[in-house]
Amino acid sequence: MSLYDLAPTAEDAGIHIQNLTVSYDTDRGRFNALKNVTLDIRPRHITGFIGESGSGKTTLAMAMMNAIQPPGRIDGGAILLDGAGDVLQLRGEPLRRLRGRYFGFVFQASSNSLNPLKRVGAQLMDLGRSHGISDLRGLLREAKALAERIGLDGDRVLTSYQHELSGGMRQRVGLVFALVLKARILILDEPTTALDMLTQQAVLEIVRSIHQEQGLTTIVITHDMGVVAEMADRVVVMYAGRVVEEGPTFSLLTNPQHPYTQGLIRAIPRITGNLDDAKPLPGSPPDLATIPTKGCVFRERCYARTSVCDTVDPVPTSAHGDGLVMCHGVDAS
Amino acid sequence: MIEARNLVKTFPARGGLLAQKAVQAVKGVSFVIPDGGAVAFIGESGCGKTTIGRILSGFETYDSGEIYYNGEDLSALPPRTRQERLRKVQLIQQDPYAALNPARTIYQSLAAPLSWEAKRRHKEKGWIERRAREVLELVGLNPDVVLGKYPHMLSGGQRQRIVIARALTVEPDVLVADEAISMIDVSLRLGILTLLQTLRRDYGIALLFITHDIAAARYIGHDGRMYVIYQGEIVEEASTDELIRSPVHPYSQALLSAVPVLRGLERPGQDRYIPLGEFSVTETSGCRFAPRCRFAHDLCQKEKPPLIPWEQEDHRHACHFPTPRRVVAEPLEGHS
Ligand SMILES: Nc1ncnc2c1ncn2[C@@H]1O[C@H](COP(=O)(O)OP(=O)(O)OP(=O)(O)O)[C@@H](O)[C@H]1O
Ligand SMILES: Nc1ncnc2c1ncn2[C@@H]1O[C@H](COP(=O)(O)OP(=O)(O)OP(=O)(O)O)[C@@H](O)[C@H]1O
Ligand code: SF4
Ligand SMILES: [Mg+2]
Ligand SMILES: [Mg+2]
Repeated sequence: MSLYDLAPTAEDAGIHIQNLTVSYDTDRGRFNALKNVTLDIRPRHITGFIGESGSGKTTLAMAMMNAIQPPGRIDGGAILLDGAGDVLQLRGEPLRRLRGRYFGFVFQASSNSLNPLKRVGAQLMDLGRSHGISDLRGLLREAKALAERIGLDGDRVLTSYQHELSGGMRQRVGLVFALVLKARILILDEPTTALDMLTQQAVLEIVRSIHQEQGLTTIVITHDMGVVAEMADRVVVMYAGRVVEEGPTFSLLTNPQHPYTQGLIRAIPRITGNLDDAKPLPGSPPDLATIPTKGCVFRERCYARTSVCDTVDPVPTSAHGDGLVMCHGVDAS
Repeated sequence: MIEARNLVKTFPARGGLLAQKAVQAVKGVSFVIPDGGAVAFIGESGCGKTTIGRILSGFETYDSGEIYYNGEDLSALPPRTRQERLRKVQLIQQDPYAALNPARTIYQSLAAPLSWEAKRRHKEKGWIERRAREVLELVGLNPDVVLGKYPHMLSGGQRQRIVIARALTVEPDVLVADEAISMIDVSLRLGILTLLQTLRRDYGIALLFITHDIAAARYIGHDGRMYVIYQGEIVEEASTDELIRSPVHPYSQALLSAVPVLRGLERPGQDRYIPLGEFSVTETSGCRFAPRCRFAHDLCQKEKPPLIPWEQEDHRHACHFPTPRRVVAEPLEGHS
């Protein structure tokens, strides 16, 4: 029996990322988009990935499915999926089948994931067939019900072509596709960025309840701390291809350790409290080509910088009980 | 000052294969943008915010109603003349990536509108570059660093600053910021909001801030005014503080409830409620929000609530059963 024949159970869809390094070849040279990332994603939890544009969130999610495309390359590391072994060792048909069984993925730009020439419902039936689902009528019925829970007109959406749907509608159709196929691991890349606040809440609500109902392992990628605060059990903070802090949401929000996490939280426009309490995060998001190769990658924007930050890479230190932080400032104390 | 009265805008029906019914995007909206004032339009996708912003900045016509610009009624003017009068109302759009020509350096992008200005105002040659540097400094960028760059070399926040700098080249009276921060990293949004506030304070530029993000709209300033728009109509208006502290219309309350709560730092308002699920837009003689409203009675289906004052003249609402509710999150002790 090969690895991918093991039927996963809800209990064991944890993901263990070990020393993962991914690089992209660009016209300015080859740069690391992820460097030595080690991280456990817990089964049955909602994990939020947060970080500015370019911090490597999408790259990390794609790597988990061994789906990095050229000019990207996985340079090293392992991704151990409970019950299925190292995903990075799989190729071809076994890899395709493993993805189909385990992963439901909603792309950041959902518009590109739909076929422009087929009605949405027909695409869903294709997908159902390729997943070996025989009750296609039932599949459509479920999709319609899901669509209606997030404010879509189910019949209209299933009979539409993608160009007849707005960006926000397409994003939600992507979500319906991922949910209806009953993946074990649900990865949502910026599921609410094109949506207004009310629709965002509807989407978050449906993800939360399906996560619960089906005992999923869910990953929500976002640059919005508010989304994380509403949804996630745990938070992974990424900066310049590194995980700089990780821990339970409550602890991370109330007691952020890394100066970057602190800055991100302070920069959120808040509906409540003193206007002057919010402060912009200084500087610009990191650019791969100018990330320092030695020392702390955040130091240019950091209020707590000391000389050791320029020369020595910070190492993961335990924080938030069962989480971690990577900062010399926290090391020292 | 800009005063709009009863603005109506209908997009005509389209025939053919992809037939579409006529859409009345704006249904009789009235508002005032005082000199140097700050006004926010709040509402969910499709409520007509962008359409109003585009009408004000001369990119869109309107079917009926009046726009008074510093006392002059623009409605009777031919569209071309109207557009010229609205030159000093500058639109800043959502997408700073699309707004800049990728093949032009920042200097070239700024020099184009500036050479118009130079011609109009008979300025000598050196003026264009001097002024380009000036507007970049106004938006907090270093001219020596950015002038020669192309848009792709800049971050989203920097690009949006360039777009604002370009709007400043005509010395505008009003900036219409249409979801101007929603495509920018959250970490950089506050920087842009602070910039808009500074421009308002230091140069008296009025601000029309269009968004679905009420928390962000709060940062246009303490003395700002908010209009809540639902399906092309104003359903509530008040000073920013008043509207957030004590909204009386169920739709305003729903929007405010939808702002994410930062667990651990905030607690949800005790009356927080979020309408979920499907609803359809149907013509009605009653309240347009009734199909989604938790507090609707028979009267709401039958009779349309007018926009009338609540307690004070400057807080107005369109609901048969206005009730203040506490829906916004409150800061927890020690984490203001
Ligand atoms: N196909 C590619 N070719 C070259 N570089 C890439 C490619 N895809 C991503 N990168 C680079 O890798 C880094 C990480 O990108 P990634 O898309 O993972 O970031 P992200 O955190 O998802 O950002 P965003 O919030 O903008 O989606 C960025 O610097 C990006 O420019
Ligand atoms: N050029 C157009 N032709 C036809 N209909 C249009 C046009 N522009 C806007 N509409 C319609 O008018 C209504 C209001 O649109 P508008 O863009 O003003 O909304 P909005 O509040 O800005 O929404 P969003 O938050 O999604 O930007 C919508 O129903 C929209 O589909
Ligand atoms: S008028 Fe009635 S239906 Fe409309 S918002 Fe008020 S209570 Fe709700
Ligand atoms: Mg991404
Ligand atoms: Mg709009």
